[in-house]
Amino acid sequence: MIACAVQQSGRVELYFYGELEQEAAAELRSHMSDCGECRRALEELTVIRAALATRPDICEPADGDWTGFMERLDDRLQRERTARAAPVREFRGALPILSPARRLVVPLSMAALLALATTSVFYVARSRPMEAPREPLTADVAPGGLGPSTWSAETGFASLSEQHFERSKLVVLGLINKDPHGASPADWEYERQLASALLSDTRLYRQAAEARGLTRLARVMSDLELVLLQASLSRTPEPETLEQIQRLIQKRDLVTKMNVVARAGP
Amino acid sequence: MAESDLITRAAGGDPTAFQALVERHRAMVYRVAYQFAGNHHDAEDIAQEVFIKVYRSLDRFRQDAQLTSWLYRIVMNACIDHRRRQGSAASTPCGEDAEQRLVNTPKGGPGPEEIAYGGELGELLQSEIAQLPAGQRIVFVMRHHQGLKLCEIAEALGLAEGTVKRQLHAAVHRLRAALTAANVTAGGRA
Repeated sequence: MIACAVQQSGRVELYFYGELEQEAAAELRSHMSDCGECRRALEELTVIRAALATRPDICEPADGDWTGFMERLDDRLQRERTARAAPVREFRGALPILSPARRLVVPLSMAALLALATTSVFYVARSRPMEAPREPLTADVAPGGLGPSTWSAETGFASLSEQHFERSKLVVLGLINKDPHGASPADWEYERQLASALLSDTRLYRQAAEARGLTRLARVMSDLELVLLQASLSRTPEPETLEQIQRLIQKRDLVTKMNVVARAGP
Repeated sequence: MAESDLITRAAGGDPTAFQALVERHRAMVYRVAYQFAGNHHDAEDIAQEVFIKVYRSLDRFRQDAQLTSWLYRIVMNACIDHRRRQGSAASTPCGEDAEQRLVNTPKGGPGPEEIAYGGELGELLQSEIAQLPAGQRIVFVMRHHQGLKLCEIAEALGLAEGTVKRQLHAAVHRLRAALTAANVTAGGRA
């Protein structure tokens, strides 16, 4: 059990790694002349350094041959190039390596959304009188000369992105409105778990947006990813961490960007 | 060829220039990945992921910045991503539980220096490092092995410096506990 508050504060490690200012280092040295606990901590750090220094310096694959590594990298880069050349057709190929179940989430969601949209259009069409003037339905319009199937995929993706933004916005707003000095551990843990849960999907959407050349959407997803990453990595409700996250959200104007992209589309 | 030229050419889509960049930095990337992961399989996965990310974002790299610092940032985040993908219940690279191995270390053996320099303690500590939570592990690897300042690590990970200090403290605390479990103290085996 650690009894010394100085040792508990982590200053011994900071001293060991040369991270203390001169004055603080001198104070610690003076303290250590009387504190066996801190002296022992410093000595144990020296033992750890000596022990880890005996470990081999591994900086290449097991057999010392980079050929296999470079070939695999070339293959992946080739897929990246193909995905860039044909972003829509190669959408699935451009996704990061995920488990089979995770890989199916986006396509299945898109399929479900498209089925829903098709059904809705069908019922709307049936409910209208034959002679009624035909007003163009949003989903019937293919912007930018895209074909119907491409437009459906793009529409599905945009819609899913928008839903993801709506979910994420709750977390972002929760973070930005939290009092850095008043957040309880349970409250913080809840926000952290929400951020963690959204992080993987955000990355997936960002990568998919990049692969499809949707630069603006990719940038907002990237900002969101950074905020969620910071929140998910911070296990304790430290005011300075929360303040930093809040500054980041404000600096990137994340909420506005999410609103704009959600309204205007990617 | 100067690195800045290579970057410009690689960002412009020149595969040869990109390959040259990879060859120039792959050892550093692999070293960090191995120190983080503790095994070749994961180290290679992480290193691959790093270079894919570099490829995707090289056109956004600012020429006035240090490529190495930028790479460190990508490596650190790739390590954490990799760990996250594996899930919190992922197995450690060592078959035997590190703590158990420490407990099993026969008493009355060589003192800490002999253990340290014989490599046995280093191996045990390495397996303990492999079991640290991802945040603590990457902070320890980058500070202890790579010699990055805590403020640099904090900036790369987008965390407050205080958070990084606490991660380092927690990592060191756990390694010291491993020494205690092995009955190794700075003054010799208990």
